[in-house]
Amino acid sequence: MRYETVIGLEVHCELATDSKIFCSCSAHSYGAEPNTHVCPACCGMPGMLPIVNKRVVDYGMKAGLMLNCHINRVTTFDKKSYYYPDLPSAYQTTQWFAPVAVNGLVEIETSEGKKGIRIKQIHMEEDAGKLVHDIREDTTHVDFNRTSVPLIEIVSQPDLSSAEEVEAYLERLKALLRYARVAECEMAHGTMRCDVNLSVRPEGSDKLGVRTEMKNMNSIEAIKRAIEYETARHIDAIENGTEVLVQETRRWDDIKGKSYAMRSKETAGDYRYFPDPNVMPVVIDDEWFDSIQASLPEFPEVKREKYTTELGLSDYDAEQIAKSIALCECFEDAYSVCGNAKDAANWMISEVMSNLNARQMTYDMLTLDGKALGELISLVSGNKVGRANAKKILNAMFDDAAVVPSKYAEENGFIISNDTGLMDKVIKTMVEADPKAVADYKGGKEKAIMAIYGKCMKELRGNCDPQMLRTKLIEYINSL
Amino acid sequence: MDKDTLRRLELLNQLSLTEEQKSEMYSFFDRRENDLSELSSIDTENTERMVHVLPILTVVREDKIVQNFDRESLQAGAPETDEGYWCVPRVVE
Ligand SMILES: [Zn+2]
Repeated sequence: MRYETVIGLEVHCELATDSKIFCSCSAHSYGAEPNTHVCPACCGMPGMLPIVNKRVVDYGMKAGLMLNCHINRVTTFDKKSYYYPDLPSAYQTTQWFAPVAVNGLVEIETSEGKKGIRIKQIHMEEDAGKLVHDIREDTTHVDFNRTSVPLIEIVSQPDLSSAEEVEAYLERLKALLRYARVAECEMAHGTMRCDVNLSVRPEGSDKLGVRTEMKNMNSIEAIKRAIEYETARHIDAIENGTEVLVQETRRWDDIKGKSYAMRSKETAGDYRYFPDPNVMPVVIDDEWFDSIQASLPEFPEVKREKYTTELGLSDYDAEQIAKSIALCECFEDAYSVCGNAKDAANWMISEVMSNLNARQMTYDMLTLDGKALGELISLVSGNKVGRANAKKILNAMFDDAAVVPSKYAEENGFIISNDTGLMDKVIKTMVEADPKAVADYKGGKEKAIMAIYGKCMKELRGNCDPQMLRTKLIEYINSL
Repeated sequence: MDKDTLRRLELLNQLSLTEEQKSEMYSFFDRRENDLSELSSIDTENTERMVHVLPILTVVREDKIVQNFDRESLQAGAPETDEGYWCVPRVVE
């Protein structure tokens, strides 16, 4: 018999806000001392009132719209009760009865073609704290820095049927949420985590099999291996009766390549959801909704299409720039000023990207003013600044956002002069200083003048039209 | 309220009740059950869900960081702390 795997995912993404979801503590405590980004609210002290961070709702809406969801205009928060020391108030404030977004659709593409994955809902919630077990043998140490960091949980319908589809789906979520600048979605950084629900059924059957869940998966490779292992385990159980499948939560051990039943707690799954009376319902009026809708970016494939068909970029160049919304915005601004898409693309791909790499910054971290870049490109194409000096200016622009290319070029003597008198004088001096190179050149070694050319360029500090310098140099030597 | 349900509630809330407290719980929950059955006799078929008892909506704040509590004062009432952490009974083997 042939079987099919039925997979649904619950994906947690940390939202890129500055502060936490219900209090004003910083949401970024990576590497910080324990319990230094905390207050009575996120430590669960009695009597504290949570106040919703508006940007969390903005981002929840944006995520919902990017994934084609319906936005609930009245969205409410609920208590999910469970008792564990990473949760100081013994409940997580999340959304159960009226999540911010419902009924979405995400299109993925695999070797099998295109497929739509339905989104059941997106809800906003707070993260839990961190437990450390290896400081002392007798206790667990608790750090609440991460408590109340804002998350969205994206719940899919069980529409996925292979590891390849899961990978495509996660990549798609990451691309769309990064484009909307709502979340980093980097599994290696813990800003995207994934629970995998999986069951197996005979191909063509419309009845779902016994479902198992693997929680907190944090790499795509591990998820793919876990899906393959679980699928094989389920089929083996169904065909050969090797074990009785039960609905349970399992832990994936990526080193051993096996999943294990977690000691099923008698209480697991009984979260007693209850409206949180301390958080007022959030009503999204038309003005708010419209402003969010207007702020949404075009999808990556729309950008690529536009760049190739409207601006004439190669598929490769379009692909490179469309990798990040920050690159797209910088490129589009640069193009709007310099008017040459191919030039702007070349500068983005060669110079801007290598500057980011050298600074160990991701593409999304680019804050370079695209209009200023456009001005710089115009200075080069208009033969006002040499390319080598233009690179120095770009470097300065990365270091200091206030650098204005034309002003910086003037202040640093980077403006190409049309002073042919100076050029002639420099050529004469350098030629006289290197009679051997001149003799070599005249003897047929054409490359011999490159040394003199380089010295002239250096003496002129790069401020001359390279073609003109070359022509003049050859003319002068030939006239000797 | 039967013995098993109460045991389950104890587990969910990580409580261990004395026999005296348990008998109090039985009578407490019996009274609540009467209240609830009275409530569930009301026809709410066409009633919209009440989202909140107070007429206050959309209490939100700007996304600004304010850090004005120090660890020492927050941990002042803790039974045990170590290296800046709160300490709790070990939860894994
Ligand atoms: Zn706080």
